[in-house]
Amino acid sequence: MNNILAGSVIEEENCLTLVELCAASNASEEHVISWVIEGVLEPVGDTPEDWQFPGHALRRTRLALSFASHLEINPPGVALALDLLDQIAVLKARLRRTGFHSFAGHR
Amino acid sequence: MKNKDYYQIIGVPRTATQEEIKLAYRKLARKYHPDVSQDADAELRFKEIGEANAVLKDLEKRAAYDLAGESGQEFQPPPEWGGGFDFADGNGHSDFIDSLFGRHSADRRGQDQHAKVEIALEEAYSGVGRSITLRVPAIDEQTGRVAMQERVLNVRIPRGMHAGQHLRLTGQGEPGTGKGAAGDLYLEIAFHAHARFRAEARDVFMDLPLAPWEAVLGCTLPVDLPEGSVNITIPAGSVAGRQLRLKGRGIPGQPPGDLYAVLSVVLPQAVSEAEIQAYRSMAQAFNSFNPRSPMKGNSL
Repeated sequence: MNNILAGSVIEEENCLTLVELCAASNASEEHVISWVIEGVLEPVGDTPEDWQFPGHALRRTRLALSFASHLEINPPGVALALDLLDQIAVLKARLRRTGFHSFAGHR
Repeated sequence: MKNKDYYQIIGVPRTATQEEIKLAYRKLARKYHPDVSQDADAELRFKEIGEANAVLKDLEKRAAYDLAGESGQEFQPPPEWGGGFDFADGNGHSDFIDSLFGRHSADRRGQDQHAKVEIALEEAYSGVGRSITLRVPAIDEQTGRVAMQERVLNVRIPRGMHAGQHLRLTGQGEPGTGKGAAGDLYLEIAFHAHARFRAEARDVFMDLPLAPWEAVLGCTLPVDLPEGSVNITIPAGSVAGRQLRLKGRGIPGQPPGDLYAVLSVVLPQAVSEAEIQAYRSMAQAFNSFNPRSPMKGNSL
């Protein structure tokens, strides 16, 4: 018989360390460091040991890892792709806000 | 069950070189990447080409697949090939199998795993229980062989979660080796497409169509929100595109999101004589109105 499991919500303010982010995303530390250098991820803290990543960095890291492994995109390419996806998300949100949601998809 | 034609899925001839397969896969992966593609079945296609690539990119696996095809046998990728690992409710990726077979060090913590769970927007307001079926490879202790096993988890998704957020279930990921602890399971929350509401983080948007007189004269309307019905006051002189903010009526949280009603104005068709006459009277009353001249205070 299964019990009902209650998880913990990864909130924005629940900061993840480099080790936690790597464990949670299955990305290597080398990968994450290269993405931080390119500005894909923006942790708080000066050195990798001090870095604190916000909750949304988990999804971003998973996406960066998927681009790197499936599409063989290097870190500057990952940074460009994620920047463009961010811009698309902003534009879609603007369309949704003004009621043109059929053009903006539901992602 | 018919064998899948991995060559057809990747779109290369059976004589393709490894380099050609790699290139064709990369192009398709880019086209159907679920975070990039607008295609409705992108996620399914992405998974399919991933499975085909997992076999064809490896010379040994490709040879076994070709051989099975020639002899007319059914081809089932063994679990250790990485195919077949799946979350029945959502979409998971894991290199569990590779890591399980690739490393033999004792007492290693299991890897964290990921799956996506779709809930209805209304369920984000109330919280919801979900039964999630995981198909995971596990070692049969008697035979020592790997077999796929189904695991059902009943998960409580708490009130106030929004799309893109993760729920961590400690110890529900890949089992550890030796005395190593199990990894965690991360569930990424996504919303089903909703006919009336659109969520952006904790804020929720909805269209509120008005008749011209409701917009111009103002009114109070009963409106169904995810949490129940409320009366919304439309101020006189409202124009299409205006957003009315209902503070704290978005997805619950600390702080809760807001709900925005985006106003639009719908022109009624004039069919009966009385309706046509009403438009004629309106034209007379507004004889100086020119919709093609730029209007003050109506900049986008």
